[in-house]
Amino acid sequence: MVTRPAPSLRADGITAGYGGVPVIRGISIAAGPSEIVAVIGPNGAGKSTLLKSLIGILRVTSGSVFLGTDDVTNRPPEELARRGVGYVPQVNDIFEPLTVLENLHMGGYLLRASQVQARVEEVGQVFPALTPMLRRRADKLSGGERKMLAIARVLMLDPKVLILDEPTANLSPKLADSLLREHVTRLAEAGKAVLLVEQRARAALQVASWTSVLVSGETRLEGRPQDLLQREDFEALFLGAGPSGPARNTVEEENEDR
Amino acid sequence: MTIFEAAFGFGLVSMSVIAIAAVGFTMQFGITNMINLAYGEVMVSSAYVAYSLNRAGVSIWIGMIAGGIFGAVFSFLLNRVVYAPFQRKGTSYLGMVIVSLAISLMIANILLPIVSYNSVSYAEHAGSIIRFGGVVLTVNQMIIIVLAVALMVGIHALLRYTRLGKAMRATAANPSLARNCGIPTQRVIDMVWLITGALCGVAGVVAALNSDSFAIASGGGFLITALAAAVLGGAGQPYGAMIGAVIIGLMTELTAAAWSAEYKEVVAFAILVLVMVLRPQGLLAKRGALAAAG
Repeated sequence: MVTRPAPSLRADGITAGYGGVPVIRGISIAAGPSEIVAVIGPNGAGKSTLLKSLIGILRVTSGSVFLGTDDVTNRPPEELARRGVGYVPQVNDIFEPLTVLENLHMGGYLLRASQVQARVEEVGQVFPALTPMLRRRADKLSGGERKMLAIARVLMLDPKVLILDEPTANLSPKLADSLLREHVTRLAEAGKAVLLVEQRARAALQVASWTSVLVSGETRLEGRPQDLLQREDFEALFLGAGPSGPARNTVEEENEDR
Repeated sequence: MTIFEAAFGFGLVSMSVIAIAAVGFTMQFGITNMINLAYGEVMVSSAYVAYSLNRAGVSIWIGMIAGGIFGAVFSFLLNRVVYAPFQRKGTSYLGMVIVSLAISLMIANILLPIVSYNSVSYAEHAGSIIRFGGVVLTVNQMIIIVLAVALMVGIHALLRYTRLGKAMRATAANPSLARNCGIPTQRVIDMVWLITGALCGVAGVVAALNSDSFAIASGGGFLITALAAAVLGGAGQPYGAMIGAVIIGLMTELTAAAWSAEYKEVVAFAILVLVMVLRPQGLLAKRGALAAAG
């Protein structure tokens, strides 16, 4: 039996979707301090939908979301930001026409004016690469710099919970690896609960402390990554093809498709 | 003094009036996604508020402040009561344009029994005359120019240096991300309607002051010139609207001098059509909605 920390964020059997059609059904997931929880699964499994329903963008039709012991089901995104949940969407993750510094200021919108500058400097220590480009317009950044800015922006409020939707989606494999191994791992070590959706399943499994496999809107499998990787049916499950799934090397292909 | 020097002087005043109107109009579109065709009628209503005070013996400049306050409150309520509920229901862009057109007609028809369709003029002494080389301006015209410059600098400072202004730009660029930052976008949008409504009200009064007379029917012309300047500069871009106002203001007055004052709005409209054909994204479109100025 694995012992996990008391969850900072917990979803209890949530169902949500678009226009009354549920995309995810009865999903339970939790992330505690210093944990990296990776949600993996094929395209269309409902991974992003799950994250959106956790942070109040999408309406949860049944089940509950808890922050610590507080029920925050269907609370608006502004309130979740105030309560310490930082969310980095997969796309549209920065304010493009604003400068890097202005993006950070917006990330720290809820801080007192006197705290903002100090916090910009602290966040700059987490992502030193951003410091020389504070005056640059955010849409001039490279893919990797952009994602760093997106994460730096949510760090402005020093959130307890970090929710990242495919942070490596538009990055080269090398950059993706360094983002997950260096930055995400370091944030978890600093005590944050990290909930991560990833297409690059193998890379995610290497940094995660807990993994949930989502297939067709339902949790197919969950556990410690090393336990999951030992299961013979893991790759088949991951691809959502059932026990008699495709040939072995397909997981690698899936990883390379971005 | 040649006729073109005089036209240049009038052009300075026109561009000031148009800039105040166009910046308000373009910010409504840029931040709240609303092409508010009732803008011209709100300008006219505000001009009438100033007119009623002016008739009671109050200075037109006090009347202008009252017009600005009226424009702010009216626009705020218009959004809260009409536009925002339609937008929440997911009404399309085109649907919203038609809603605002309907509002424009409703305002005009509500005004009609109150003020009648006759033209009126402010009773305000134009003030003494100031000369700059060949350009001759009245004190009132100078006040309009200085006011416009002050308002443009104010809008620039608001958007660039204040927390509220940056939140407005963030909301314009990415409303969903703004909410994730904890920005109360609803309150930000309320502030946008108050500020742009005040610009609209002030613009209505100075536009009326700058014309010999005005009537309910002036709303269409006010709207077209503001719209032309906003589209020329790149819809949704305050700095673009300022540049658009300079060009439209000069062009209309030069045409008036060379040709006939009757054609002012025709020229504004012709520029609008030309921009739509040649550069539909406007002059500053590449900079993105409410971009950083750097």
